[in-house]
Amino acid sequence: MSENPLAPRSRALPRRLNEIKAWTRSIYDLDDGVAISVAEIACRDEDCPDIETVIGIMRPGEQIEIVRVHKLLVDILFDDLKQIAS
Amino acid sequence: MTKIPVFLLTGFLGAGKSTLLNRVLGDPAFADTAVIINEFGDVAIDHDLVRQGRSRVSRTTTGCLCCTIGSDIRSTLCELHELAAAGEASFSRVIVETTGLADPAPLVNELIPGGTPAMGLRDHLVARHFDLAGVVTLVDFVTGDLSIENHFEAGKQVAFADRIVLTKMDLARDPVTLKDIDALKSRLAVLNPAAQICDGKDPSALFLPRRYAPVALGEDVAGWLALETALRVEGAAHGAGGEASPPSLFDRHGGRIRTFTIIRDEPIAEKAIQHFLAVLTGHAGPRLLRAKGLIAIAENLERPLVVHAVQHVVYPPVRLEDWPSEDRRTRLVFITDGIDPEPVRELFESTLDPDANPFRQILAALGKGVSETLRSRAASLRLPRARRNAN
Repeated sequence: MSENPLAPRSRALPRRLNEIKAWTRSIYDLDDGVAISVAEIACRDEDCPDIETVIGIMRPGEQIEIVRVHKLLVDILFDDLKQIAS
Repeated sequence: MTKIPVFLLTGFLGAGKSTLLNRVLGDPAFADTAVIINEFGDVAIDHDLVRQGRSRVSRTTTGCLCCTIGSDIRSTLCELHELAAAGEASFSRVIVETTGLADPAPLVNELIPGGTPAMGLRDHLVARHFDLAGVVTLVDFVTGDLSIENHFEAGKQVAFADRIVLTKMDLARDPVTLKDIDALKSRLAVLNPAAQICDGKDPSALFLPRRYAPVALGEDVAGWLALETALRVEGAAHGAGGEASPPSLFDRHGGRIRTFTIIRDEPIAEKAIQHFLAVLTGHAGPRLLRAKGLIAIAENLERPLVVHAVQHVVYPPVRLEDWPSEDRRTRLVFITDGIDPEPVRELFESTLDPDANPFRQILAALGKGVSETLRSRAASLRLPRARRNAN
């Protein structure tokens, strides 16, 4: 069956945001004192994909660690984060 | 020295920012308000849709304030300050109406102490004379929930607000819809427990000076501001290496967001434009983030029509008393999520002028992907004539 390209779709962003934070906390073994921030931006650098997700890991007293995932936020899998962390 | 309070008026596309701004500017107590209107797209029409008194100081910027990484907001405030210093303007507050796609994080960072560092005289001057006093976010109760689910910017606009205003409430009349409002309020309270949720009945109260404290808005907001700063530092380091400069390094809306315009010199029949918007919203639904325009109506050339459509909803058109500027052309601005301009233009031409393009040419031009349905609809509008020709 063909897919209607204009059909409503839900990206469920608030839920996905929390999911990615939880995965990051688990993979990087971060306690509650470490803040995590997630943003989706479109990169205009020719060497990068159009859209990427940026995760900021904010350990108290340290410089923010930025993790880039070259995917839309909704497309990120647990294994993507695990692979980047390894 | 008393600083001039600056308020951000934000809200996703079609939430009713210009309508609310018009109500505020209609209050004589707010006559001394400078207005900065930011529009996404090449052709600015919002400034024509906001009533501005003769003495009102206003500036319009195109492009996205959040994607130009704040430079625009500081430049514009600096310009306002210079006008005031030269005695050419007088104002006691500034309202910045952002584009519906604006990410508040970079704007807030530009305007709060401890945010983006001041880089030159201009930035120091802005920090010395202006103070971010509040972020007012409008949420359309009809489409607000869907926008928060699907667009990162919509969620961030809610999170950064110290006042959230529910709009289009007049459309809620039956008990089921009233329950939907309660559900939306509960959801907004979870997303941003610190913000006051208002009904907007007294819009002027939203712009009374207060202290905007992002720290009070929770961990997400603090995190986004910190991440914003870190990305800027990273971008600056990237630029220092002889590569792309920070402002061009990234934007925030993804490749899927498209903005385009239709401009037409000839007047249009009122029924035709309503038909066009009905067909467009009926087929594009949530992917039509916003369509708005000033229409030169054939039946009454002196009184243009203002039209608005948001996702699947076409709002009743409003007839202005007269043209707001010298430009008397029809101007329609579209912001879409993955819909190309061409099928929309074809649909527009088909609706207005069924003889403009033979049916077969339209069929031959059928494309794939998200445009297909609109193209098909554009073609079907010409079907009766094509059949007549075939006979």
